[in-house]
Amino acid sequence: MGKLLLLMLEGTFTSLKIFFLTLLFSLPLGLIVAKGRMSKFRVVSSIVNGYIMIMRGTPLILQLIFVYFAPYYIFGASTDRFTAVIIAFVINYAAYFAEIYRGGIQSIPQGQIEASKVLGLSKFHTFTHIVMPQVVKTILPSMGNEVITLVKDTALAQTIGVAELFRVAQNAAARQFSTTPIFIAGLFYFIMNGVVSKSFDLIEKRLDYYK
Amino acid sequence: MKKLLTVAILAFLTVTLLVAGGTKESKGDQSLEKVVSKGVFVMGLDDSFPPMGYRDENNEIVGFDIDLAKEVTRRMGVTLKVQPIDWNAKEQELNTGNIDCIWNGFTITAERRKVINFSDPYVDNAQVAVVRNKTSYKTLADLAGKSIGLQAGSSAADAVANNTAFASSVKEVIEVKDNLTALMDLEIGGVEAVVLDLFVAIDNITRSGKDFRILDEHLAPEEYGVGFRKGDQALRDEVQKQLNAMAQDGTLAKISTIWFGEDITVVGK
Repeated sequence: MGKLLLLMLEGTFTSLKIFFLTLLFSLPLGLIVAKGRMSKFRVVSSIVNGYIMIMRGTPLILQLIFVYFAPYYIFGASTDRFTAVIIAFVINYAAYFAEIYRGGIQSIPQGQIEASKVLGLSKFHTFTHIVMPQVVKTILPSMGNEVITLVKDTALAQTIGVAELFRVAQNAAARQFSTTPIFIAGLFYFIMNGVVSKSFDLIEKRLDYYK
Repeated sequence: MKKLLTVAILAFLTVTLLVAGGTKESKGDQSLEKVVSKGVFVMGLDDSFPPMGYRDENNEIVGFDIDLAKEVTRRMGVTLKVQPIDWNAKEQELNTGNIDCIWNGFTITAERRKVINFSDPYVDNAQVAVVRNKTSYKTLADLAGKSIGLQAGSSAADAVANNTAFASSVKEVIEVKDNLTALMDLEIGGVEAVVLDLFVAIDNITRSGKDFRILDEHLAPEEYGVGFRKGDQALRDEVQKQLNAMAQDGTLAKISTIWFGEDITVVGK
């Protein structure tokens, strides 16, 4: 039992690595994508729109397989499997985050932007000091949803051979002919997501700055 | 809130323990009567395991094991229901009664024997290593320090784990969902060798036409059997009886020749 938990902690560590690396890259990338989607240049906005449609319109499991295997058939070279997992997760989640950002940004009344202009604020300054502080607040609940999904989606990494928590649990289940490891894994995911929702609650409280 | 969470976790754990520990209870062996009265025999299999059981162009599940099971159930006077399952969850599927047996190139191992009631072996097999043809690997020892791939939860995984000398010599064992993914991984150089069943290896190489070869040195000789629930002795004996009869009247040899070009079955030999 002790050995099993140790193995599962190792798997959890891999899952967490995928989780944090994905957030690290996809959160900023999502903002860039959102900006591209709202661009006045038709070419930019339609390319970005196409990208979002593909990312949201195809299963993540398929994107994983594509990112890992396709480069070999196209360029004759392949990436390391963990890198492939991170790339697939980042480009997938960036698309979802982008749409959440866009919803938040577009909810800011145009009048505020005009007022900032009248007050002599630069476009950049308006975005960072007037728009974003409000956006972050409004998008937090939807972000929480997406981040919780990400915790559970890490289980897909096993598709291309990365031994994360769920793969470890399934292997142990097959070895011991018992369902217990799978349920323990369930408990692990539950705890991880407990931490995620608690953190989002805390951040929401912290960001109570307009009251 | 904290209390509620504690209660929720406790409830979850209790359910887990009940599910894990409370499945063994039997009131005599009615396994055969059950199947006969239902008129349906459910065989569980991984439907991506050619040539034992897989989907053909019409999405029908076909294969050597399917033909055997069809003949056995025809003789038993019941209908065969082929139920694809996730190979990793096969024990749960069997124990929860979703399927009556696991019949799909199911390797008999000492460990599995503890929890599964096996038929007599009907085919001999081996675990082999497949490598890219242009590489220079000749023996298993040549694979020291390299990554090898295999299907998670398969008997190849057991064979590698049990061969400690080989398992500790390789750099890492990459486990993926099915043999096909493992072989694709081999093709793109993600791994240097894939360990899998001999029949599956032969079938994959001939049908895909990929530039692979099989190492002469085998990892583990093994036998295929049909797996039943531990308590289902009557059902197991009935299927065994039919298999024995099929061996005697030459039906087994006939089916084997269709799929492998020769009689590879070992029932009654």
